[in-house]
Amino acid sequence: MTTETANPAIDAITVEIIRNGLLAITEEMKTNLMRTAYNLIIYEALDFTVGLFTVKGETISIGLGLPMFIRGMAETVKAKIKHFGLENIHPGDILVTNDAYITGSHLNHFTFTQAVYHEGEIVAFACCMAHWLDVGGTLGQVTTDIFSEGIQIPIVKYQKAGVVNQDLIDIIAMNVRLPERAMGDLRAQITAVTTGERRFSELLQRYGKDAVLGAVSILMDQSEAIARANTRNIPDGVYEAESYMDDDGVEIGQRIPIKVRVEKRGDEMTIDLSEVSKQVRGFYNSGYTTGIACAQVAYKCLTTPTDYPVNDGSFRSLKVIMPMGRVISAERPFPMRVWMTFPMTVIDTIFKALANAIPDRVVAGHHADLVFPNIHGISQKDGRLFIVGIGPLGGGWGAKQSEDGVSATVCMNDGDTHNSPTEQLESKYPVLVERYSLRTDSAGAGLNRGGLGAEMVVQALSPFSVTTRIDRVHCKPWGLHGGLEAAGNGIGIRRDGVWETDMPNAKIFSVRVKKGDAYLMQSGGGGGFGDPLAREPEKVAHDVREGYVSSQSAQDLYGVVVTDAGTLDSGATERLRTSRRGGGRDENFEVIAG
Amino acid sequence: MSGKAQKSEQGGLRIAVDIGGTFTDLAAFDESSGALHFGKALSTHGHLVDGIQDTLNGAKLDVKDGYLFLHGSTIAINTLLERTGAETALLITEGFRDIYEIGRVNRPDAYNLFFSKHEPLIRRSLRFEIPERLRADGTVHKALDEAAVRDLVRSLKGRGIESVAVLCLHAYRNPAHEARVKEIVLEELPGAFVSASHELSQEYREFERVSTVAANAYVGPRVSAYLGELESHLAAAGFRGSFYAVQSTGGLFPIEHARRDCVRMLESGPAAGVIGAQAICAQMGLGDAIAFDMGGTTAKAGVIANGEPLTTSSALIGGYEKALPIQIPMIDIFEVGTGGGSIARIGEGNALRVGPQSAGSMPGPACYGRGGVEPTVTDANLILGRLDEKNFLGGEMPLDKDASLSAMRSVGGRLGLDETTMADGILRIAVTQMSHAVKAVTTERGLVAGNFTMVVYGGAGPLHGSAIAREIGIRRMLIPFSPGHFSAYGMLFSDLRYDYVRSLFKRLDEVSFDDVKAMYAGMEKEGRAAIDDSAVRPSEVRLSYAADMRYVGQEHAVTVDLPTDLIERQDRKAIKSAFDRVHAVRYGTSAPGEPADLVSLRMTVTGLMKKPEPRAVEEGKTTPEQDALLRRKPVYFRDSKAFVPTPVYARTKLRRGNEIAGPALIEEHASTTVLQPGDQLTVDAFGNLLIAIGS
Repeated sequence: MTTETANPAIDAITVEIIRNGLLAITEEMKTNLMRTAYNLIIYEALDFTVGLFTVKGETISIGLGLPMFIRGMAETVKAKIKHFGLENIHPGDILVTNDAYITGSHLNHFTFTQAVYHEGEIVAFACCMAHWLDVGGTLGQVTTDIFSEGIQIPIVKYQKAGVVNQDLIDIIAMNVRLPERAMGDLRAQITAVTTGERRFSELLQRYGKDAVLGAVSILMDQSEAIARANTRNIPDGVYEAESYMDDDGVEIGQRIPIKVRVEKRGDEMTIDLSEVSKQVRGFYNSGYTTGIACAQVAYKCLTTPTDYPVNDGSFRSLKVIMPMGRVISAERPFPMRVWMTFPMTVIDTIFKALANAIPDRVVAGHHADLVFPNIHGISQKDGRLFIVGIGPLGGGWGAKQSEDGVSATVCMNDGDTHNSPTEQLESKYPVLVERYSLRTDSAGAGLNRGGLGAEMVVQALSPFSVTTRIDRVHCKPWGLHGGLEAAGNGIGIRRDGVWETDMPNAKIFSVRVKKGDAYLMQSGGGGGFGDPLAREPEKVAHDVREGYVSSQSAQDLYGVVVTDAGTLDSGATERLRTSRRGGGRDENFEVIAG
Repeated sequence: MSGKAQKSEQGGLRIAVDIGGTFTDLAAFDESSGALHFGKALSTHGHLVDGIQDTLNGAKLDVKDGYLFLHGSTIAINTLLERTGAETALLITEGFRDIYEIGRVNRPDAYNLFFSKHEPLIRRSLRFEIPERLRADGTVHKALDEAAVRDLVRSLKGRGIESVAVLCLHAYRNPAHEARVKEIVLEELPGAFVSASHELSQEYREFERVSTVAANAYVGPRVSAYLGELESHLAAAGFRGSFYAVQSTGGLFPIEHARRDCVRMLESGPAAGVIGAQAICAQMGLGDAIAFDMGGTTAKAGVIANGEPLTTSSALIGGYEKALPIQIPMIDIFEVGTGGGSIARIGEGNALRVGPQSAGSMPGPACYGRGGVEPTVTDANLILGRLDEKNFLGGEMPLDKDASLSAMRSVGGRLGLDETTMADGILRIAVTQMSHAVKAVTTERGLVAGNFTMVVYGGAGPLHGSAIAREIGIRRMLIPFSPGHFSAYGMLFSDLRYDYVRSLFKRLDEVSFDDVKAMYAGMEKEGRAAIDDSAVRPSEVRLSYAADMRYVGQEHAVTVDLPTDLIERQDRKAIKSAFDRVHAVRYGTSAPGEPADLVSLRMTVTGLMKKPEPRAVEEGKTTPEQDALLRRKPVYFRDSKAFVPTPVYARTKLRRGNEIAGPALIEEHASTTVLQPGDQLTVDAFGNLLIAIGS
């Protein structure tokens, strides 16, 4: 490690002081947005990201938000700079777009940006992306082009020299189903970017431009140094892996290949995503920036996981090969509404590729879906349309070489996203949550087992329509190094007391349920790591006592016998395991390791 | 027992004891003589009562002379954080036993594949579902199957269950099912500690509420036993007065209530410090102040606005990623992991960090000579001359400056910084980190920090107060009398206090004021009854009304104080504009054209206690007496970029009216105040150090 820095005039102390200042700014932007937002997806689920960017659009600091948006926001800032030119951006201007092919995601992501001035010159940008509940377009149907997904706002000025562009607002308001909500969220986002602008200006005034920008550059160098050091210690080589998605919601049952190639040389890594599936007809595409983000998020998880603030220095030692026209680099007008689902599996597949190179640093497959159904209907109370997403459910995460996976936690796309409290949902919408629980036996077995998935049953108190876009039902979360796969995601519909769960996939569009009927959402578990027959028997007995694993699965998958009283039968376990290891495999037992 | 003994509030000794992680502090006020007494002893973790007796002995006080014994303790929070609570079962609405484990499913440590989430205090096999279900409006969807509950509770017998938590969905709307379940548990498991969620929180959000009631049940038996033991100890020692505990709101409640709602004591010490700051503000006629407390491992900031501490309706205990939420009213205190023991380290990428790792008291900072080799904030203060090798803790504990220097070189050498620059740098980083805590409670709430006086206490607070004030633009700082015993001192000023919240969920333009008044009347009745129950008769009962409000469609609400006449007059417009104003201050925007919701109603019922009279100090001249000046020594100040000859004064020798211009140090037993060049100190009538911060 080197003690030299890009700017020796700025000492380590100043850098640390400014780093603390940057973290505080993005944290405050986040708090203000969350507290003033109008829709549950922002205020409760925290589906948004805020950040500060250099005058070139490089990421200085991104607040805790959606990991998958680390590239999309920076690229949106860059696109805005390119579109107008710095010379045509003025104090009091706020720029906006929801162009899916720039953000790399869906049209719901309205992204606002304001320049930060210092002594008359633009020195940085504050930016905020947040998920609007509705942006028009088809409600509750699969889409096959961007035009059916809602209003598209190219890069324009929401506000010029402090004056709001009312024409733009009127156009947006007429094109969305819940204009009051949309305008409330818009105000909340403006609060976030103006907070960022004000606080960053104060930081510049307090420490001077040279110190702040110099420190930013040193912070990026520090992140780069950490990333390189943690890349160097990965064995050189070429690593590949492949996985599949269930389907694109149009060509039902047509598996979609996700193939990745990782090349590691010295302190640099190349992630080649050329072999990821071509863009698809259904709305599971995402844009180029999200393709890059797949590689960057995976790389950050492996090399600089706890280095904050998130900045672009972390990615200098990573090269990404990402041709256009793939499912994660889709071109206009391919549909993008469910952009977030496939990239998570791309990331898991990168970990899978590296499973032999760095078994102690990777994780087995996770449930990889938000499991976030949308319902809409007409409220019996006030006769008005309601739209609500109930979730995310949280699912199982993969096991690691050193520990079990975590249960019922939000998937890779999201970070500090929260689920919806039942008491809140029921006070606002005509639903009754019958059950929200962990799924016994949903975790992949292994030396270390995966985390458990969850399930929720929601009953209609008045009729509504339910839409789900859930994947990874058939292509289940895989295990590593002999660990078994986990249960996949799933759905069901109950009509007149009869459950229907045998569906070709977990994608249903505007399925109408009447009063008393219900839907079921299930999230998958996490894959196991290592041979389940090597798991410490007492741990298995504990899992049986706590109901995470059934005693049947304990026998079948782990070769562990647990008595009805919940105690370990060591003798029987020893005999069973010996017979299993000897190849005398139980007929009902099949190893399905990934 | 003590709680029932009727004693006049006139005369006698008011004793306050605060148990902290390291020290047990005592402050006592003798109402007949007006004398204040202080005591300090090491906390005795095996047997906390001993530490309390040690402080009494040290202060030469006898509890026989006490009419009030006020107590705050870390026992509840330590039991929670150290996981040493009771074997606890949870009874919860059918279908929901896992919500406590599922939590909010968030993953804040988003790139860390080795993240972990909160760990429930009650394991899954002790979480049981009970057949019943209420709807969001409080009506019964499925009746409570009492027989099934009884069978279930019977099956728990003999399984070592000491405590039971109960949560029914929507109990904040209708507590009937919870109350009945609790009765059945008490009948079937006599002697068990039983806690139902509505007794602690009548706000929605089931995970937060279950976490609250589980925490209460989990810590309850231990905290209750401890309080009982202390009560017996006091009785045996001849105490005939009333015994009260301090809540996280800073208010007092009788020990019978504390033994039931133990979780309300979680943050009693820090809250009492804010109450002490509030008391000083009241004496001085200050409306707005920041209460800033810095100890060995953390720094904490709270706010007093318009004479009242700001409160919050919930807190996360134990770090954001793995936190257990507690949904009860408490003083809003923001904490950062920066204290005297915070360690400076070079991390990955050659980046310098200060804290959150702390050297604690073992090994402690390098200068403690107990084996610490990494430089800490305390070592930096020693190197820069702010602490003294020979006069730390009144000279009881010599410090090893060579050890500090060597520790400083181990880090500074790698960064190309000498010991002085490195030490100064550590303090600068610590100061900016702490200034973020102060900003978090002021600037980020729309308050202008520069208009606030900062009341600084805790052993390490006065060393850094001036630097923090400059960082934020605060112009006035106050170091109270005895900053090292401040939480105990603050307790002497606490009032009896009961806080109530009722969820309402009505639009302001549609709500029936009869309903609103009925809810407030219910809370008032409950509060007055609780206060009437108390042995000590307060001089006055005060009611404060507030409502949590939001724009229709928003989720998060802000608390708006409501003068009673607005409610009496049913003045919807005035209530709405009060909300618009609060929203604008807090977030910088408001929407006067948008309708608003009344999410919940809040009431605080306060029984005002007679306050100790401030102790006047002897009048002196402008220049301190000769004997107040202990010595002169070189102290490093960044603005001077050099060690500057600096006078050191003895706090105990300062007199009312004395003035001192910075640079200077004011030493007292457990604390040192740093005046930077340009700062101007005046000793006020009560011995507080009032400091005008130089620019």
